[in-house]
Amino acid sequence: MRVVIAEDNALLREGLVLLLTSAGHEVAAVVGTGPEILPALLEHRPEVAVLDVRMPPGFRDEGLRAALEARREIPGLPVLVLSQYVEESYAAELLAGGSSGVGYLLKDRVGRVDEFLDALERVAGGGTALDPEVVTELLTRRRDTPLDSLTPREREVLALMAEGHDNATIAKTLVVTERAVHKHIGNVFLKLGLPVSDSGHRRVLAVLAYLAHAAR
Amino acid sequence: MWTTVREAARATGYLVVVAAMTFALYLFITVLLITAVGTVAVVGAWMLPETVLVIRRIAGAKRKMVAAWTGRRIPEAYRAVEGTLRERLRTAVRDPGTLVDLRWMVASYVYGALLALALPLWPLGLVVDGVGCGLLRRRAVVLPLITRLADTEARWSTALLMPSPQARLTARVEELKETRADAIAAHGAELRRIERDLHDGAQARLVALSMRIGLAKRAYDRDPEGARKLLDDAQDQAEQALTELRHVVRGIHPPILTDRGLAGAVRALGASSGLAVTVDGGEVEEGGVRAPAAVEAAAYFVVAEALTNAAKHSGSPIAEVRLARTRRGLAVRVRDDGRGGADESGDGSGLLGMRRRVAALDGVFHVTSPVGGPTVIEVELPCVW
Repeated sequence: MRVVIAEDNALLREGLVLLLTSAGHEVAAVVGTGPEILPALLEHRPEVAVLDVRMPPGFRDEGLRAALEARREIPGLPVLVLSQYVEESYAAELLAGGSSGVGYLLKDRVGRVDEFLDALERVAGGGTALDPEVVTELLTRRRDTPLDSLTPREREVLALMAEGHDNATIAKTLVVTERAVHKHIGNVFLKLGLPVSDSGHRRVLAVLAYLAHAAR
Repeated sequence: MWTTVREAARATGYLVVVAAMTFALYLFITVLLITAVGTVAVVGAWMLPETVLVIRRIAGAKRKMVAAWTGRRIPEAYRAVEGTLRERLRTAVRDPGTLVDLRWMVASYVYGALLALALPLWPLGLVVDGVGCGLLRRRAVVLPLITRLADTEARWSTALLMPSPQARLTARVEELKETRADAIAAHGAELRRIERDLHDGAQARLVALSMRIGLAKRAYDRDPEGARKLLDDAQDQAEQALTELRHVVRGIHPPILTDRGLAGAVRALGASSGLAVTVDGGEVEEGGVRAPAAVEAAAYFVVAEALTNAAKHSGSPIAEVRLARTRRGLAVRVRDDGRGGADESGDGSGLLGMRRRVAALDGVFHVTSPVGGPTVIEVELPCVW
């Protein structure tokens, strides 16, 4: 895959390049400041962009804003946003901006190289990769919602679904059959009153939309 | 006799200055009256606040004069004249300090001329006391009168110029409001600095470290040599992350303060400064009394900055640090033997940072650094021991 990286910390920039090239990806461009991001994306049209949230010159959320703008300019551009802390509202902004190809992960996850590369590929393929921490925050944010009526197992399934995993991965992670996962998902959708849909990211988005709404 | 003469001479000097000032006041009050008339005519409205400021300066000079004579400071308590013309006018008129100053001015207008009495007392005194003391071995009577006169003047002026307790309280509240806002701002800046340090430093290093380990795990089977190198890198990163964490921790509260107390910590600073530093810990020596942690940390910060400056800019091979317990709190004095000329406006010197940190604790910060040196930084941090 062709990747554009935006990261201001030299150490992490170098690490990401090393990691991606060693996994056989092509790093088309590496930029270190917020204003450079959009031009680089427009020029190189990567298959996926890996962006740090906090970038110079302001050291605020330049990377996130660049990601939102890039997705307006290049509809459907997959972006994987990395940050040293996750903020639920940032996730909501990213997800509100478009339907597919969105990732938002803690930088800590990069160390689990295989999982990180999986997430990257999922995002590049139009899927979703949401940090478990964001999902936990979304799930625990409010009381007195239909979420309370979920069984612990159903909550686990919901969390993994919200992170962007497909049925097979969820089954493997929880060590259950795919049939069981399918049944849990059916129950979750029923209890939350969501329209039943089995296709990949549409399902994720329904879940996220629900969670983001419930969190308010 | 000679002491009496000298004392009388000093009193005369004081009285002459007072008289000169009184004469200047005659002129000034005339101008003041004209301003007042002008103010009624609105044209001069803008002059009123300015005039009040001039009055304050005159009264300020007088306070200093009297304080120099009596050795007792007369506090000032004014409201800040600032904002729009309307606000400045209102403050200028309503400030009780204005009334105090005017009261003194009018009073000294009346009694100021009496001070000229000191002059005829001199020949009289020299003759009478010269005969009295020199020939008859009696005590001087006339010359001490001059001193008494100066004392009386100073007492009256002190009474007249002393702001009301309420005004002093108001001024103190203003001052506290300001220092508290400064303290909060300094605290906020400190938190942001710490967050930034952690974010860019240790946190980033740990992510990089985790990345290296992840890569090493992947390479483990097919490329053991590469994996080994990645692990070496990872260890470097871990060590550097620790160094950075140590640095951040030191910036928050130097651990050596906990271990050794302020004097010991300052000695350690001196030893690592590259200068020959002599430390006089006074009562603050190890095992002695300890100031509150925030005060010790601020004092440590000031000494660290001052020694860094001295080593970097002063060209001095030596420095001297003195710590002392005072009635108000903790006094710190850092002196080098260098070329001086330290400038607070340049942001490279860290002087501004020191001033803020000291002001945040309601302390006093003072720098003298004439060109040619030496540079002396004096700080007093109020605290209860």
